[in-house]
Amino acid sequence: MTDDNKIDVKNNFNHLITEEKNKHTVYCTKCPSKILSSTMGKHLRIEFNLPHMSQKKNCEAVECELLADYWMVPDMYMFDNIGFSKTVESGIKYLICADCEIGPIGWYDDKTKQSYVALSRVKHSEDS
Amino acid sequence: MAKTYDYLFKLLLIGDSGVGKTCVLFRFSEDAFNTTFISTIGIDFKIRTIEMDGKKIKLQIWDTAGQERFRTITTAYYRGAMGIMLVYDVTNEKSFDNIKNWIRNIEENASADVEKMLLGNKCELNSGRQVSKERGEQLAVEYGIKFMETSAKASVNVEEAFHTLARDIKTKTEKKLEASNPPKGGVQSSGGHHLRDNNGTKKLGQGGGSAAALNWLSSRCTVL
Repeated sequence: MTDDNKIDVKNNFNHLITEEKNKHTVYCTKCPSKILSSTMGKHLRIEFNLPHMSQKKNCEAVECELLADYWMVPDMYMFDNIGFSKTVESGIKYLICADCEIGPIGWYDDKTKQSYVALSRVKHSEDS
Repeated sequence: MAKTYDYLFKLLLIGDSGVGKTCVLFRFSEDAFNTTFISTIGIDFKIRTIEMDGKKIKLQIWDTAGQERFRTITTAYYRGAMGIMLVYDVTNEKSFDNIKNWIRNIEENASADVEKMLLGNKCELNSGRQVSKERGEQLAVEYGIKFMETSAKASVNVEEAFHTLARDIKTKTEKKLEASNPPKGGVQSSGGHHLRDNNGTKKLGQGGGSAAALNWLSSRCTVL
């Protein structure tokens, strides 16, 4: 079961967090695009069903993954580079890489104006 | 919370369908993944950060995303826009002819002092070219705006085009700021948003008479 993995993954994120913030710069996993500078996101444990970055072909239902670790970004202008999908019916927008457009890497809540970046869908590295 | 930028500029991409506006949406990577899930929903806008003269500039870039098919680009879309990229396809004569209509649409709907730039996209496709570079240049001169040929596919000039437009807006913003705040120690420049709220640029744009005309004129001068 992959679900077991997910719960355990929580502990693996500790080295990325400092004082509840992202210790490192956040990058796209597929291209060199810089998404978020260090300490701009606050670590939040919140369960959200995020659609997979690659969906099976010829499959009508959107397959999702239940993820719980996110960087909460209170203001969209705190991002270095980010893309927003159109708003879907649940009042959210999906976040994508501004350069290669891979996603969703997180979601944006139209009501609270807060963005949530999934820790498992981005790369964390020291500033180059 | 400390502000993470000095300026915030809202930019629009305008032009006929199929001219590659979406590609011009500041894509530096050669490969776009654009998974089916995301492309089905569509992209609304992007935020990009660039640095210029030690200032951090946030660009919020909007694509019309198909609205143009119905010629329904409304005042709402233009609201708050400080820069507009007019995009045509060098392999499509019609898209070039329509630039005139788009400019009229902008003049009717957008703030009078919005900074504009003309882009001839897909310049990598030399074989199917219908619009020469000279004609693009000529049209830009006619309207007193800047011009570049770009290839979003080959990443030619796309970044430069956005930097150029951002620089022109920045110059204009700083000029306005100086005019409204006579220089004294430690004037806080906090970007386009702030400026618009405080100085009522918006009001000027919507028929402020001679002031608007002056604004318009000064914007011409900036680019000429």
